[in-house]
Amino acid sequence: MKNTSVLKRNTWRERLNRSTRHGDIPWSLLVGAMAILVLVVVLAIAWMLWTESADARAKIGWDFFRPTLDATWNPAKDIYQAWPFIYGTLITSLVAIILAVPISIGIAVFLAELCPERLRLPLNWMIEMLAAIPSVVYGLWGIFVFLPVVVAPIGKFLAPLSSLPSFAGTLFTGPISEDGTSRLAAGLILTIMIIPTITAISRDVLLAIPDTQREAAMGLGSTRWEMIWQVLLPYGLSGILGAIILGLGRALGETMAVTMVMGNANEATGSLLKAGYTMASLLALQFKEAVTPLHTDAMIELGLTLFAITLILNLLARFLVWQVARRTPQEARA
Amino acid sequence: MTRFQQLIAKNGARHRRHRRIVNGVMLSLTGLLTLMALVPLFWIIGYVIYRGAPVLNLNFFTQLARPIGMRGGGVLFAIEGTAVLAILACLFAIPPGVLAAFYAARNPNTPLGIALRFSTDVLAGVPSIVMGLFIYGLVVVPMKHFSGFAGGLALSILMLPTIIRTTEEMLKLVPHTLREGSLGLGAPEWKTNLSVVFPAALDGIITGFLLAIARATGETAPLLFTALGNERFDIGAIIQSGIQAHQSIFAVIGRIINQPIDSLPLTLWTYAMQPYQERIDQSWGVALVLMIFVLLIEIVARMWIEARKRALQG
Amino acid sequence: MFKFTRAFVFVAVAFSFLLAACGTASTPAAAGAPATQAPGSVTLTGTGSTFQFPAEQAYAEFFPAVDPSVVINYTGTGSGAGKKAIIDGTVDFAGSDAVLNPDEITAGKDLQIYPFLAGATVMAYNLPSLDPKNDPKLILDGKTLADIYMGKITMWNDPAILALNPKIASKLPAQPIFTVHRADGSGTTEIFTNALTAFSSDWTAGHGTVIDWPTDKAGTGKGGNGNPGVTAEIAKNQYSLGYVEYAYAVQNNLPFAQMVNKAGNVVTASPDSTKAAMTDFANAFTPQLTAVIVDAPGAQSWPIAGYTYIIIHQTSMTDCVKAQKLVEYIHWILTNPAAIKYATDLGFIPLPDAVQQKVLGTLSQVTCNGQPVHW
Repeated sequence: MKNTSVLKRNTWRERLNRSTRHGDIPWSLLVGAMAILVLVVVLAIAWMLWTESADARAKIGWDFFRPTLDATWNPAKDIYQAWPFIYGTLITSLVAIILAVPISIGIAVFLAELCPERLRLPLNWMIEMLAAIPSVVYGLWGIFVFLPVVVAPIGKFLAPLSSLPSFAGTLFTGPISEDGTSRLAAGLILTIMIIPTITAISRDVLLAIPDTQREAAMGLGSTRWEMIWQVLLPYGLSGILGAIILGLGRALGETMAVTMVMGNANEATGSLLKAGYTMASLLALQFKEAVTPLHTDAMIELGLTLFAITLILNLLARFLVWQVARRTPQEARA
Repeated sequence: MTRFQQLIAKNGARHRRHRRIVNGVMLSLTGLLTLMALVPLFWIIGYVIYRGAPVLNLNFFTQLARPIGMRGGGVLFAIEGTAVLAILACLFAIPPGVLAAFYAARNPNTPLGIALRFSTDVLAGVPSIVMGLFIYGLVVVPMKHFSGFAGGLALSILMLPTIIRTTEEMLKLVPHTLREGSLGLGAPEWKTNLSVVFPAALDGIITGFLLAIARATGETAPLLFTALGNERFDIGAIIQSGIQAHQSIFAVIGRIINQPIDSLPLTLWTYAMQPYQERIDQSWGVALVLMIFVLLIEIVARMWIEARKRALQG
Repeated sequence: MFKFTRAFVFVAVAFSFLLAACGTASTPAAAGAPATQAPGSVTLTGTGSTFQFPAEQAYAEFFPAVDPSVVINYTGTGSGAGKKAIIDGTVDFAGSDAVLNPDEITAGKDLQIYPFLAGATVMAYNLPSLDPKNDPKLILDGKTLADIYMGKITMWNDPAILALNPKIASKLPAQPIFTVHRADGSGTTEIFTNALTAFSSDWTAGHGTVIDWPTDKAGTGKGGNGNPGVTAEIAKNQYSLGYVEYAYAVQNNLPFAQMVNKAGNVVTASPDSTKAAMTDFANAFTPQLTAVIVDAPGAQSWPIAGYTYIIIHQTSMTDCVKAQKLVEYIHWILTNPAAIKYATDLGFIPLPDAVQQKVLGTLSQVTCNGQPVHW
């Protein structure tokens, strides 16, 4: 009899009592709830963009994405075709990635492999400072210094390339405006802005490669460059790809600096030397000033597009890293 | 191993000279690229100091904006606004961020843990202007006005992934022996986490906060549709009138965060686009203040990290 | 099932956010009770037109000297933003250069528009070959202007421009015309495109606060953010032409073109020529107190002009202290000689007497919770 009563008191009520007094269950609930909260924020962003753009999706349909640069974005007539802005975002980010990737990898190699020990820390810091400078400061410096001094001359220099055949030629249809505001300017500013992102991660990837790899390559008589080019970079490829995609993500979403240097025109040739919009810069300029409800919805759909692109990039990054990691099993990190 | 065989095959004498030249050229190129990347850094810093330093004086830090055409005036409103936004963003982001990081550090492989890591990555990749759209729909439209509250919330979502990641990293660095010792002495999990693991990781976590704050302070895009900007924001006047009207401290705080608010980058953006020379000059001053503030935090945080590393090694 | 849980979680979180939001929202309302009108205790928030921004800023500086309990927050975000904000109820008053369209009047229920200043829109240009001091000003007419913005006239030495400017014909270069427009939604754009529509049947791009510019497509157009952004673009680019408010052009010493008006006279933008245009249309007000005053028929009237408005909720304001202060504020800017002087110093044009009386008549009908509000 006595035993059973003890057992009874040890049932769920007692256990619950003990564990709550102990505090672990509230703690794990709290911690779990916060983890769920983060999930909910992401879902809420997607949900809000999706529901708020419902009207635009229903009324405009796929015409919104029709890939023609000769598109209309006219709130006065309630016609919205977003391709020029999507194109603007993609082309500026593409310019930035093409220029920033070799530069950043070069810097990463220098910092990880060649740099004298004494210089390494200050150089690392300085590169990361580039990422800390606020976007509007880049924009301000861009308008007053970088554009007239660097971009406008480069634009004039590139203008003869417009004689190239087909699409390559139209990319360089000039002339660039005198103050330099153009898609090219946005691309160049973005290049500077994403260099630190790509550099920092690539450098860490290189530093994480075990020394045995280096020693093996050098022992076989390769030069330092051959060691870097033929051994280290292939070895760290997955991590570096991840870095590039992160950089691309930053370029796609960058708003203020781009808005300040891009010239803001719904331009039809798609030339790098002409003014244009990106999705983000159109949102920054027109969202607060939306004219009709459909205008607002169309811009939220633009935000949804931007969100979807970054989401897809994120998935792609994971997939790539996973693929490359599978192919070279020795590097299971990343 | 074919890669190495190729290396050996190539290792003929007639290639040697060619290879040495390539080696020299490519290696110096990496050094050159590094120098090249530093050019914009020093160019920006130098030029901002050159244009910004002349407008900095006491009034710049202690006065509100004056109407266009009247000389003088400062950006106190933007400095106060930046501080309010940063505090709000920390209040909204740090508690959930740190707690979620505890979850991530302890349960990396549960479904929720994987989902958490994935959503942290996604959140880090969401363009900041989209955060602005989200908070506009979530807070500004239901509240029916722009406010510092909305701005702080937008910045907090921006800070969240940084805080979760750095905190998680730091928590993982705490030696297992410490937590095991504590658990072995009979301390419950939550107490072990809060009074043993967390303090051990604290200074690393705080540097993470600092870096997150520095980045959030420089952001403009999420504030465009949330905080809006307000050149007449004046905490001093709000507090003074609050005291005169015998308002409670909560009412005063409510008034501070419940109206449109400015911040340094937002002011920079509006000033730089104006045609008035005095405003453009002031925008350079704002750029200088903002840059000093952000870079200073960054440097302090990094020196802290370095000192800590050295202490651990020594 | 999973879908349902997710939705539930989201709703719960959103709800708690809202609770937090309402919690903070309710405190200041309680603070603004009539008994405690401490200095700075009533905040009137406005947003909208960047055109009226310098005037609002001057008012915000000086009105508290008249009534210390009031703080005016006005931010220049564009007329479109102002109208959206007052319809959404996110501000106490909106500034706009654009009238409300029928949809907006329906959505905003009891919105009332008060014209309080007018401005002329001028064509600023950057032609380095012209000496701003000694050479005569560029002259344009409506048809030519519309053709330039349609992309039909692309060069500065086009015969149409040369014919209008015989005195400086030799100095007009064989350079493409670079057109600048507003990138953000703006009442200035509305005034300008209204004028183009009135000037020429060839103008087919429509009119509104944001339109799709034909010259953008050709790559010879560019947008600037706000009056300031457009002014900056013109200043930085040679051979450019853009529309900005008279006040901004005057403040920045930008040369701006004279226009041939409907009566066929060459006129220059000035307070007098704009007042002439307002007088031409003094009896053309709609019940909402709006009027389009472009392409005015008078002999000396400037053809591209428009009112700038304050928009408030006429009958649905519930915070009567605020309503009271708002009406006092509007009355002050309409009638106080000092307030009018601040505005004219900044290049704005005050209302003629006949118009002012009409506006004050409507202002006296504002109610709060059914009670009339007096200034």
